[in-house]
Parts: sequence; C-alpha cells; structure tokens
Amino acid sequence: MTAAQDKQEALLTQALAIVKDHAFEMKLHLDKGKLMDALKPASAMLVELRTSLLSPKSYYELYMAISDQLRHLELYLLDEFQKGRKVADLYEKVQYFGNIVPRLYLLITVGLIYMKTNPSLKQSLMKDLVEMCRGVQHPLRGLFLRNYLLQCVRNILPDTPEDVNGQGKVQDSIEFILMNFAEMNKLWVRMQHQGHSRERERREKEREELRLLVGTNLVRLSQLESITLDRYSKLVLPGILEQVVSCRDAIAQEYLMECIIQVFPDEFHLATLTPFLRSCAQLQVGVNVKNVVISLIDRLSTYSQSPDVTDPQAVSQLFDVFSNQVSNIIQTRVDMPTEDMIALQVALANLALKCYPDRVDYVDQVLQTTCENFERLNLTKVEYSSQVSRELMKLLAIPIGAYNNILTVLELKHFNPLLELLDTQGRKATGTSVIENCLTAGTYIGNEAQVSSILTMIAPLIYDQDEKDKVEMDAEDFAEEQGLLGRFVHHLKSDKEDEQYLILSEAKKHFIKGGDKRIKHSLPPLVFQAYQLAFRYYKIRDQDELWEKKCLKIFQYCHQTILDLVKADYPELSLRLFLQGTLAIGEIRFANYETIAYEFLSQAFTLYEDEVCDSKSQLGAITLLVGTFERLSCFSQENTEPVRTQCALAASKLLKKPDQCRAVCTSAHLFWSSKSAQGQELQDGKRVVDCLKKGVRIANQCMDLLVQTQLYVELFNHYVYFYEKGNEHVTIAMLNHLLGKIREELPNLDSNEETEQISKHLTNTLAHIRERMAAGGADYSGLSL
Amino acid sequence: MLVLVLGDLHIPHRCSTLPPKFKKLLVPGRIQHILCTGNLCTKESYDYLKTLASDVHVVRGDFEENANYPEQKVVTVGQFRIGLCHGHQVVPWGDPEALALVQRQLDVDILISGHTHKFEAYEHENKFYINPGSATGAYNPIDMEIIPSFVLMDIQSSTVVTYVYQLVADDVKVERIEYKKN
Repeated sequence: MTAAQDKQEALLTQALAIVKDHAFEMKLHLDKGKLMDALKPASAMLVELRTSLLSPKSYYELYMAISDQLRHLELYLLDEFQKGRKVADLYEKVQYFGNIVPRLYLLITVGLIYMKTNPSLKQSLMKDLVEMCRGVQHPLRGLFLRNYLLQCVRNILPDTPEDVNGQGKVQDSIEFILMNFAEMNKLWVRMQHQGHSRERERREKEREELRLLVGTNLVRLSQLESITLDRYSKLVLPGILEQVVSCRDAIAQEYLMECIIQVFPDEFHLATLTPFLRSCAQLQVGVNVKNVVISLIDRLSTYSQSPDVTDPQAVSQLFDVFSNQVSNIIQTRVDMPTEDMIALQVALANLALKCYPDRVDYVDQVLQTTCENFERLNLTKVEYSSQVSRELMKLLAIPIGAYNNILTVLELKHFNPLLELLDTQGRKATGTSVIENCLTAGTYIGNEAQVSSILTMIAPLIYDQDEKDKVEMDAEDFAEEQGLLGRFVHHLKSDKEDEQYLILSEAKKHFIKGGDKRIKHSLPPLVFQAYQLAFRYYKIRDQDELWEKKCLKIFQYCHQTILDLVKADYPELSLRLFLQGTLAIGEIRFANYETIAYEFLSQAFTLYEDEVCDSKSQLGAITLLVGTFERLSCFSQENTEPVRTQCALAASKLLKKPDQCRAVCTSAHLFWSSKSAQGQELQDGKRVVDCLKKGVRIANQCMDLLVQTQLYVELFNHYVYFYEKGNEHVTIAMLNHLLGKIREELPNLDSNEETEQISKHLTNTLAHIRERMAAGGADYSGLSL
Repeated sequence: MLVLVLGDLHIPHRCSTLPPKFKKLLVPGRIQHILCTGNLCTKESYDYLKTLASDVHVVRGDFEENANYPEQKVVTVGQFRIGLCHGHQVVPWGDPEALALVQRQLDVDILISGHTHKFEAYEHENKFYINPGSATGAYNPIDMEIIPSFVLMDIQSSTVVTYVYQLVADDVKVERIEYKKN
C-alpha cells in the first residue's frame, strides 16, 4: 500500500467516524420527534461531503454511508407527512442552511417527500431541483449530488404519455433527465481540465471510475416505458447526441456512444441509424469510432436475425445505410488508422453475410470500397507483419470461410485486386487458406476459366513472380507448402472429359513456371490425373468416337510433362512415372498403343541406364522395371524379346554381386508368367533356368560366406517356386545340388543372429516342401530332405 | 492390442486426402502400433500417422520421398512375428507363392504387403497374409475399381482378429476375419 493510499484510508475513516456521530445524534432527535433539531446534525453530517481531499473511490464510500443515513430522515419525514402532520414551509426552511452542499442534499430529500405526498408538485419541483443543483460546480461534489437527485426521483418519474391529474407526463421526465445528464456530463468533462497536466493519466483513470454516474442518466431514460420510438427519435436521441457531440471530449464521447448502443433497444437503433452514425463522424479525433460502429453493426446484425424484428423494411436497408455511413465516417475522419478503416469493412462484410447470405454483391461492394480506400490513400503494397495486412487478410478470409466454396469467392470481382495489395508472404498465406478450404470443403474447380482464375489467385505459391519479393523457406516448410499444392491438383476436376483435358493443360501452363524445385511436387499429380482421364475416355469409348485420338493426346501430354521432370533432374521419379504410363497404356489399348507404350518403356529404360547411378537405386529401379514388364501383355513378340533380354542383362550388370544375383532371379519371372498380347503365359522354362543358373554362378563368386549361403537359400526358394509352377527344366538334381551347397556351408558360419536367420529360412523352406508333399501338391521324390 | 495396418496413400501424387469417413474413425489414443506398407510419399503423411500412435513402422514403397525407410521389416506384437513389405519388389506382384518366399525368409507368422491397392486377407500354409489395400483408394493402372480400405488387427495372445474397413459407395463397411496361430 502506498503512502497516498494510506492517507486516503485515514481521511475516509475519520470522515466516516464523524458521519457516524452526527447520524447518531440525528436519529436521537428523530426518535424524540424533534425534526428541526435533527436537521442540524444531518446538515453537519452532510458537510463532510464538501471535502476535496478524497479520491473518487473514497468519496463514493462516504457518499454511500451518508445516503444510507439520509434514508432514516426520509423515512421519518414520509411517515410524518402521511400521518398528516405536515411541517409547514419545510422546503423553504431547509434553504436557509448556510452551506450549499448540505442544503441541496436536504432540499432534495425534503423535495422528494413533497412530491411523494403531493404528486401535483412533481412538475415544478423536479424542474426546481435540477436547476438548483447548478449551485455546485465542483465536479466530484456536483456529480454525486446530481446522482443523489437522480437516485431519489427514480421511482416517481412521470411515465405516462399525457398528463394525468397534474402529475406530469413522460416528457417532463425526459427533459429533467436530459438536463441532469447534460450538467453531469459537463462536470465530468471539466475534470479533465483541472489540475496539473502531468497528472493527466491519473485524472483520466478517475474519470473512468466516475463514468457510470453519467451513464446512469441514459439507463433511467431507457427505463421509461412511455418512450416510444417516435419520442426516442425526436426528443431523446437528439438531446443526448447534441450533448455528446458538443462536449468535444474524447473519453465522454466514446463511452456515451457505447452506452447509447448498450442501453436502448435494437429496434430504436435500427430506426435511428443515420443520425447516430452521422454523429459518429463528428466525434473528436482520438475517439475510437471503429469500436463504436462495430459494436452497433454486431448488435444489429444479430437483432436482424431474431424473431423480434418489427420493421423488416429497415432491416432490408441495414446494409445500405451502414455502408453509406461508414464511407462517410471514413472520409470525414482523416485521422482514422488504415487498419481501423479495414476493420470497419470487416464488420460490414460480416453484416452482409449474416443478414443477406445470398447477396454476394454486397460482399463485393465491401471489397470494392476497401479497394477504393486504398487507392485514395495511395497504398499499393501492404507488408506482411503490419496491422493493415492482418486486417486485410481477416477481410479476405471472411468470404472464404463464410461461403465455404471458392467458386463463390471467384465471383467477387474485387477479391483479387485486394489480394494483390498484400506482399508475397501475405498472398501466400491467403492462398494457402484458399487451398485448405477447397480441400476440407471438398470443392472441385470444374472448368478451365475457373481453374485459371484460382491458379492466378494463388500464384505466389506456384511460382516466384518477383525475385526481390522472394520468401526464403526451410526445406520442410517448402515441401509442406508444395505438397498442399499437389493435393489441390486433385480438386481441379470436371465430370466432363473434354473439359478435364482443358483443365489439365491450363494447370500445367501455370505449374511449369514454378521452376525445378516446385515441379517435383506439382507435376506428378497432373500426370496421374491425366492417366486417370485416359481411363475415363476408355470407359466411354462407345460414346466418343474420337476417344483414341484423345487418349493419344493425353499420353503425349504426360510424356512431355515427364520430360520436364527429367530436365529438372528427377530421374527416379520420371522413371516411375513412365512405367506407370506404360502400365496405363497397356490396359487402355487405343490405336497404335504399342508404339506409345514402347516409347514410355524405353524412356524409362534410358533413364535407368543413363541417370540412375547409385547401386541401391539401381537395384530398386531394375526390380521395378522387371515387375512392371512382367505385368505388361501389350507388346508383340518382336518388341518384348529385346526388352526381356535387356532386363536380364541389366540385372547381371549391377555393381554388387548379391544385387546382381537377386535381380537376375527376379528377371527369371519375365520368361515364365509374362503374358503375350493374347493373354498366354510365356512359360519358357529353359530361359527361366538359365537365369537361375546365372544366379547360382554369381552367388558362387560371392566372397562373403554368410551372404553367399543366404543367396543359396534364396536361390533354392526360387527353384522351388518354379518347380512347383511346373517348370520341367527345374530338376530334383538341381535342388539337391543347391541344398548340398547350403548344408555344406551352414556349419562353417559363425553362430550369430544372421546365421540363425539363414538356417531358419532353410527350415521354413523345407517345412513348406514337406507340407506340399503331404498335401500331394508336388512330386518331390528324390529330394534329400 | 490394436494394430493399424494401412498404406499406399499416394498423397499428394494420386489423392488429395484420406476419405473423411476414415479420418473420423482414426482417432488418437486407441491404436498401439501402426504398420504401414509404404507410399506415404511425404513427411506430412508420416506425421499424421505419428499423431495416431507413437509406434509407427513404415517400409519403402515405389513412390517414396524418404529413401531411408527399409525395404522389409519384422515387428513383434504379442506372440506374433509380423513381416512388412511394400510388395513392388515381389514379382509377380501380389502372387501368393512369391509372397510366401518372403514370409519364409522373414520367418513371420503374418506377412503384410501392399502395392496392389486391393484388400486381401488369407491363410496360406498356416500363415496369415494381409494386404490392407490403399487407404485413400489411390488410382492404380492395373486395377480400375479401387475401394479405399485399411485394416485393424486386434491381437490377443495367439489370436488375431482382423477388421477390414472398406469405403463402398461412401459407406464404411466392416468385415471380421479371425486367425489363430498353431
């Protein structure tokens, strides 16, 4: 606790003690029925409220203690008056108390009793009291005095449209409160200009603490039931606004505008939008008009959706009115920060979407206004981390999120011009949310023009437009960003085949600009989409007589696209894509398919021979080549034979012996289960065995005994495989020979985990053979098990 | 013990995402192990699997960005030795006898492979073979009618109950297959 706080505490305690003493005395006199004697200590007690030493908080406590005590006096008087024991001239008598503060408190208390017991006095006394309070001009004292006045009369304010028995009408109450409000506001504003300028901060804090006292006037007004929309718009609101605008105090203006919005019903706001917003434009520099307007927009957009709406006509104009007035505010208030200006447009866009979800033009209008504002400010580029950019991105995110359909966003003519104000990083961020929205909402972009617009929209993700504005990214982020783009390709999709082809061609034009690093991610999805399109044409071949030509075009497109990847130095990826193409062509079989398939396959082969260098990749690639070729049945004998031989040859040329051995075994399948164009298996048993024998020869050359034995077991399995498939060139003698080698080597190996694995492998193989024998599946007689 | 078996996602090459109905089924915290037959393609897909379970095993597919995944792997769960292999290396693709060669070499009770994008689960000479298909239903030139699928194995001592989830006409169908180790 600071010294200042200590001092406040002490002062308050002291004052409260005095109040207690005087109150005790007052009550003593009242008990004895001596009213005039009681007024003296009451006045003495009230004198404490003359202090200037207390902070608003302490003063409030003191005020509360004293007003509690005044209740006793009030109750006593009311009791006496109701018994008919009127004290003549009491109202005049209390006016002779010397001190103005106690005098006015007593006058209000007595006046209240007069008005309660004789309602016909209301009109004149209310006016009298509210005028007389002017006598106290010290802000703190005056505010609390007027608060006391307002508090006292709260239950007796006339609230009927017309005068009943001279008791006054609602208009009197309105005038009374408006005057009290105006006076209180003036006192409150004056606080700002008292004291030393270095204490400004403290003063503003104190004013914050007192604002409720001023606002209570508006609360009272809102509680008067006879205030109709008509009275509100003709009397109440103009009265309040005039005071608010003319006080020229930012703190008061911001609070009171907010207060009006909070205390009066939405129905009233809806009908008085224009005058309210016009006043907003006239507020002081420094008033956060944005917050005021936004809170009104938010309230009314919620209200317009509620069942209480009585004026649908006004609701229908809500957007237009706000739109006009907001423009007016933006143009009048030159001090408004750009981000606030956009924040207002954000609120407008939300309003448009909430109240008129199908009016895409409203949202576009908001975007257009924003564009125009930027033009007016001569702002052409917005930096990513700035406030303005954050607000602008928020604005752009609204239609994306609300429509949840990028196709609708594409209809907004002013979306792109606004987007282009952002720098690369900002556009990337928005582009990313566009894509993410498409992916989660399951939106498909179904025609060429739309594809072109959306790819233009997300262009910074697709290629570097401006070398200077390039964003450096770490490899992982880059891969993630481009992966997202790759996923998006599958959403560029039409259910019409011809349109799909146009889409793919258009998309490629965009993606090819991405450079070597990007196309690795974006082109493969295009190729796979194209393959699938070829299958679609194949499915509708009866309905489209040009299907073969179109398929040819598609494969030319794929061929070219894969070559682009080759140029960018992705040999392994390209090789796999060519093989996928070969498989697709082999299934589809359009006119002249064999030539095209052969071209794809030979491209793959060339890549294997020229570009795949390290031995691990080579083994992987040749295995895949063999696996793919085994599946293909589309080639004529004259084409297959060289490829088959080539594969087997390539397998035997691998760097490492074990790799050679395994690849050669795999390529043996090419001579067995490969099918001819007519669907017949080749089953060239001799060539199979040639391969396996070659495998054994290579294994023989292996220096590492462990690896050698392992290869023998694997070879043995391959022999068994073909033996069981009925290859007559595989003989029991061959099996026994190999088994002999294994059995010879196995005991010589160090006993370790790997040896254990090899012998397990052998055991499993022999168990398999026994099982086959038992089941009568294969004739293994003569095998030395 | 729940083991998720899936693979051949091919995101972003052939598909944009897992089917939302599968994503809804795959919630973190229920699955103890994930066995993936490969073709995750990107790190993002791997990271996604990591969110479902901490123990993720992946073997190398033919379209893998990460060259460090092994070609084959053996994982022991309870009493079962489970072999994992993408399958593009096993010629002819998907051939049961050729896969049996791998089973014998790896000395496993269950062999899991992929590549064909077609769900399969069968017993062959007392061993159990599972192909979870493609979880995204990714395009495959050798089979035009691809049904997105994955497999959950519930392993209790010497029994595996296999649930296969297939997305047929946008509805998830579940089938149950039991395998007992001799």
